[in-house]
Amino acid sequence: MKRIATTTIAAAGALVAAASAGHAEPLKIGIIESLSGSQTSTGRLYATAVEYGVDKINEAGGFNGEPVQVTEYDNAGGAPEAADKFRQAVADGVDIIFQGASSAIAGQLTEDVRKHNIRNPGKEVMFINLGGEAMELTGEKCQFYHFRFTTTAPMRVNALVNAMKEAGDLGTKAYAINQNYSWGQDVQAAVEAAAGEGGYEVVDEVLHDVNKIQDFAPFVARIKAAAPDTVFTGNWSNDLLLLMKAAGDAGLDVTFATAFLDQPGNIANAGKTALGHYIANNYDNAASESDAFPQAYKQATGHVPIFVEGHSAFALAQLQQALGTLDLGGGDIDVTKIALALEDTTYETPVGPVTVRKEDHQTIRPVVVSKVVENAKYPADDTDMGFETVKIVPAEEAIYPVQESCDMQRPEE
Amino acid sequence: MASMRTILILAAILLLLVAVPPFLGIAWQNALVNVLIASLFALAFNLLIGQAGLLSFGHAAYFGIGAFAALHLMIAVEDGFDFPTPLLPVAGAAAGLLVGIVAGYFATMRSGVYFALVTLAIAELFHSLAPHLQGVFGGESGVSSMRMPWQGIVFGSIIEVYYLTLGWVLICGLALWTYTRTPFGRLTLALRDNEQRVRFLGYDAHAAKVIVFAISAMFSGVAGALLAISNETANYSLFATDVSAQVVLQTFVGGSTVFFGPVVGAAAFTLFSFLVSDLTRSWVFYQGLIFVLVMLFAPTGIGGVVQFHARHRRQLDRSRLAGPYALALLGGLLIAGGVVYLTETVAVLFGQGYAVRMRDAVDGLPNYDLFGISWNPVSILTWLLPLVLVAVGGVILVRARRSIAGFWDRVGRSDGPVETKAAAPGGPA
Repeated sequence: MKRIATTTIAAAGALVAAASAGHAEPLKIGIIESLSGSQTSTGRLYATAVEYGVDKINEAGGFNGEPVQVTEYDNAGGAPEAADKFRQAVADGVDIIFQGASSAIAGQLTEDVRKHNIRNPGKEVMFINLGGEAMELTGEKCQFYHFRFTTTAPMRVNALVNAMKEAGDLGTKAYAINQNYSWGQDVQAAVEAAAGEGGYEVVDEVLHDVNKIQDFAPFVARIKAAAPDTVFTGNWSNDLLLLMKAAGDAGLDVTFATAFLDQPGNIANAGKTALGHYIANNYDNAASESDAFPQAYKQATGHVPIFVEGHSAFALAQLQQALGTLDLGGGDIDVTKIALALEDTTYETPVGPVTVRKEDHQTIRPVVVSKVVENAKYPADDTDMGFETVKIVPAEEAIYPVQESCDMQRPEE
Repeated sequence: MASMRTILILAAILLLLVAVPPFLGIAWQNALVNVLIASLFALAFNLLIGQAGLLSFGHAAYFGIGAFAALHLMIAVEDGFDFPTPLLPVAGAAAGLLVGIVAGYFATMRSGVYFALVTLAIAELFHSLAPHLQGVFGGESGVSSMRMPWQGIVFGSIIEVYYLTLGWVLICGLALWTYTRTPFGRLTLALRDNEQRVRFLGYDAHAAKVIVFAISAMFSGVAGALLAISNETANYSLFATDVSAQVVLQTFVGGSTVFFGPVVGAAAFTLFSFLVSDLTRSWVFYQGLIFVLVMLFAPTGIGGVVQFHARHRRQLDRSRLAGPYALALLGGLLIAGGVVYLTETVAVLFGQGYAVRMRDAVDGLPNYDLFGISWNPVSILTWLLPLVLVAVGGVILVRARRSIAGFWDRVGRSDGPVETKAAAPGGPA
């Protein structure tokens, strides 16, 4: 029954395809991002970076003889809304979807894409995930049409351990405090796993509620009692800010190893308390000798790339490079071919090469470890503080093994 | 009694709902699926606030539970369990009913604000517990499944989902309407009006309230299940407060005192977000504005205003009312135009794109584009226009309102279709 139906759908799809042949079809990109609601500030940054990247593609002549079209869809920060916008995007003929501000929404979109592609062979859609770091997206939920162009918890933690140890700031006693959901649990697991390599002992670990705690003093007291040298935390937003402030107020002498210290507003809010703390992320402006990219970005958007903008723009540049190897001869857009080309592309970012791992479509990418200093080259949040690069951990050292739960079905070639 | 006229109107709407969607694009079909689901959810919610007088602030809990129950059944079907796809919402109904009985038992021990707070707490309980129970709620990225074909129907396209949803919403809507006609439905109304008297009449008020609560939760569960079938995924964000809040807003804007009021509100809000959310980032602001205006000037909601006119249709002198009403509409539109213009201008001027152009501009502030026209931000005309729109609209509205109020006074209804200091129904949309 199902097979007959699938064939019918496929035949109908082929008819539509045949009817539209003869016109050069433009490549359509959809950004399904949190453009209203509490995650707007982050969603806006992803959208800006993607649009910057699309402009670059179009300046170089577009693709398939046409300029690449880009549309923004507001998912309002919710997964059901994202599912609606996905259908809207499909109705608009979108080929590639970009999203980054939430793993929950990334989980929704990757599943929507998978089902859409099963039901509509020949009309595939692909999803480039710029910020959903949940392990399962390249684990249980891994699929051919999903690409993750960001790090994951083990990559960030391994890089932190590697760089801080080299800099002599790691110490021998580590503490893990994280938000109690998949991301925080992933970070905690990664901190435990890296203990042998880093030569430290995890003295205590805590998982707490997500963005509900107003007073971190009890947690800081507990950290103080354990007397660690380094506190690992994957916390973001208020949970990171309040934690650092509480630690500062209590005069706690530890180094924080974080993942989201560069979120806009954090440095300004934390003030001098932030000095000396570490962060591991995909990219930082100070990590490269050349300031060509930050200046070009500033020229186009009015500000140097911050937070997630850098690596998102590189993802588009990598897509541009992949598109450059393809010639569809002015015919229909074949997303499968684009995906295959993207798999074979190596893009040289200012901090090192990024490649796609074919087994699970996680990108193998360098991780930048930086530390907050005064008088930084690129000041954050209009303060005089900013990030100074401690080490760029090369891609092959930062990557982790493919998860066993990933069983990717590749398209027939 | 339902008059011939009402039946005809309902039949016409039904015919439209059945016949038109195949000719619409998939985006519209999907929007209609959402309208239907929101309508059922609002109807189920209104059973509590409209009929029983209980304001629940945590109906997301039963909506979400219904969605997860249906999804788990879908997963079982995917793994070979033989269960007809069209009956999947039964799982949502069962789960909603069960959770509703337990939650209702505790929540209905109190009424008023305390009841609202308990329901809010129960929904929050689910919201904070769900991410930790990865096996049931699937963690952050949620639970996912796929609709399986049944009896030759693939359930792959949105139109098939639409008819499935339509069928369920009609059956449930009818059931809820029938409920209001039963003796127990009358007792529900009595609970709202005077609970003490119900008790003195020998009824167990608490038990009755638990039953009403459970029925409302059951139909909410069906709505959740329909969403799960349509989206084929669910994650813990379904338990979030904004889901609970949305149904409250929809019900009140639509009118909780009229049976079909919540449907009007649900349809209005869902279509508004479908049509406007990609046009402007300020759509949530407009939505809030509409809610505030409706609450201030037409507390009985859109449905209440319509019902008022329907009830007085014999006293209506259409020729004398049409003029003032058209005038009020014009005034409302002018004000709406001015407000939208100002909002969008502020959004553009403080937006990122404008910041870049401001930096690149050689001298002064560059012009900006809005509604296809280029505006100069330092020109007086740019700022005069919205002010004139709002002022003229305001004057027209005040005059129109006066003559409308005069008309209803003469008819002998001083309460009027809307509050006497009324603006026209429909704010800046």
